[in-house]
Amino acid sequence: MPELNLRISAADWDRLRKHCAPSFRGKRDTEYGAIGLLGKRTVAGRLSELIVARILWPEPGDVITHPHCALTFSSRYMRRAHMAMRKEGLCGLLTVHTHPMSDEYVDFSCYDNEQDPLLMENLVDLWPDTWLSSVVLGAQCQKGRLWVSRQQPAWLTTLVSVGESLRYLPLDGQPAPAAPAPSEIFDRAMALTGSGALAQLGRRTAAVVGASGTGSLMCELLVRGGAKRIITIDHDVVKDANLNRILYATKDDARLRRPKVEVLKRGIEGLGLGCEVVAVVGSILDSDVMKQLNEADFIFGCVDRDFPRMLLCQYAYQYRVPYIDVGAEIGGDSEGIVSTDARANYIAPGRWCLRCTGLINARRLAFESLTGPERKRRIAQGYSDDLLLKQPAVMDINMRAASMGMMLLRHLLQPFLLTPLPVTLAENLVTYNMKPVAAVRAKNDVCDICQANPAAGFGDCAEPLGLPSDVAASLIEDEEEPE
Amino acid sequence: MSIAKAKAEIARLAASGLAVELVDEGVQPYALVRGVEAPSPPWDRKVYDILFPIPVAYDMGTPLDAFYFGLPYTFNRGEHNRVSGQVITIRNCQWKLVSWHYPDGKPFNPATDTIESHIIHCRGFFLERGATNART
Repeated sequence: MPELNLRISAADWDRLRKHCAPSFRGKRDTEYGAIGLLGKRTVAGRLSELIVARILWPEPGDVITHPHCALTFSSRYMRRAHMAMRKEGLCGLLTVHTHPMSDEYVDFSCYDNEQDPLLMENLVDLWPDTWLSSVVLGAQCQKGRLWVSRQQPAWLTTLVSVGESLRYLPLDGQPAPAAPAPSEIFDRAMALTGSGALAQLGRRTAAVVGASGTGSLMCELLVRGGAKRIITIDHDVVKDANLNRILYATKDDARLRRPKVEVLKRGIEGLGLGCEVVAVVGSILDSDVMKQLNEADFIFGCVDRDFPRMLLCQYAYQYRVPYIDVGAEIGGDSEGIVSTDARANYIAPGRWCLRCTGLINARRLAFESLTGPERKRRIAQGYSDDLLLKQPAVMDINMRAASMGMMLLRHLLQPFLLTPLPVTLAENLVTYNMKPVAAVRAKNDVCDICQANPAAGFGDCAEPLGLPSDVAASLIEDEEEPE
Repeated sequence: MSIAKAKAEIARLAASGLAVELVDEGVQPYALVRGVEAPSPPWDRKVYDILFPIPVAYDMGTPLDAFYFGLPYTFNRGEHNRVSGQVITIRNCQWKLVSWHYPDGKPFNPATDTIESHIIHCRGFFLERGATNART
């Protein structure tokens, strides 16, 4: 059975748990609850995840509770939520309530089993395309289901909370398996079979966007770390100029101009570690290619341009999927190189996007979003000399960045680094300095990508991201890689 | 994803009476503005048409910069040193890229600037600042 997950920002999940916490204190006789609005994520037309776009926190009188009685959401509260769902183009409602006497195991009550289909019937009468998901909380467990019709529900598998860490909580009413001891975090044998970082990695799909120097190394680190499924995306082919840094690429691949992703698939699958590589030959700017990300549990951006980075940021917030951007930059002046940075940034709900971080340059983004011929005319006139690529393209520096990206993922799955994570984790190789950068250089408190994204958590309910194929193709036309 | 914001801005400007339209040249959109006033002399005409590309990421907050100038023209009976870029043909007219940057320290600000403010910036080329640049 394919998984059907519920994805939520860590901030919403923590606040929901806090809101409901009084249920599990004192006499433990009163139910608590709230209603959320749902977006969705589909893979080839099949629903794979519900996404909590936001929680409508109850106002006084919205939740009717009596000791030892089942909670009721007022019709006013239900109506408000349903109206908001319809107005915003979302796909359903999530009701959450507690069972105060449940500790490690929880299940829906007979009352819940009677009421949910009736509520579903009422909602569908008002708006036929309404889905209803319900989650019941115990003190240390939770169980969830989805009603797409008035008949049998579908059972939710895992609650994925995305924020300063990644939590995968079972939605089967049972307690989560205990995390391994700290000493086992880096013990491959233990972690692979337990509930730690590597075990999760083996059950999830990673997408790596960019299959050149950094991207190929990122895939290598993932597979050696236990990943069993990687989607690798790149439109480009192997050339002589990049044989210095693409893992598994041969002189023959360059001569035959083989797509980088196919070379990577051959190399990674050839290791015999049981990892399936899905090779996607195409630009991430293309909306059809972008849809492939719907299968990914986490995304690595190993690209050297701002437009793909911008789209990946938008994806991360719209779908509440963790995105780790890795890269390397050279800073110089008339005297020579003053910095050679390897860098990793973690993008997730509640954190800053790469535009606010200052890593995406608006002029460069404008330059990259012109078609090839238009860009060439700008270059010819010297308009954009400062925007041409100057990233280092050597394996030793790429490796530092990929290594930091992998370390961040391990931490997200099983925290061991200081928290909160810095805005940018950078290493200046010229000065031998590791720099946890806390400053947000282009901070915008109303940023429509990270802080006030109107489509945050909407998933497929919002306008598709990316460009039509012909437009995307015209933007990557005549792109030059750093030699 | 689309350039919905750019389209809306152009529609609003057109509705207000400005002769501006969105031109799709292949997959690169341009804004075409007709009848931009110029002092004559030194320019050989009282109005010119201008054209500028809209980056497909305009709605993501990318700045506008530069513009094309409808040919032919003369400036002080000769050429203007900033009309020096490549020539393109759009809508059966020839256009030449003009090197007309925003001043240092005052770039196009996506949060406050718009297509309308970019047109105002482009107009400056025909007026005192553009003419001064041509002399120096």
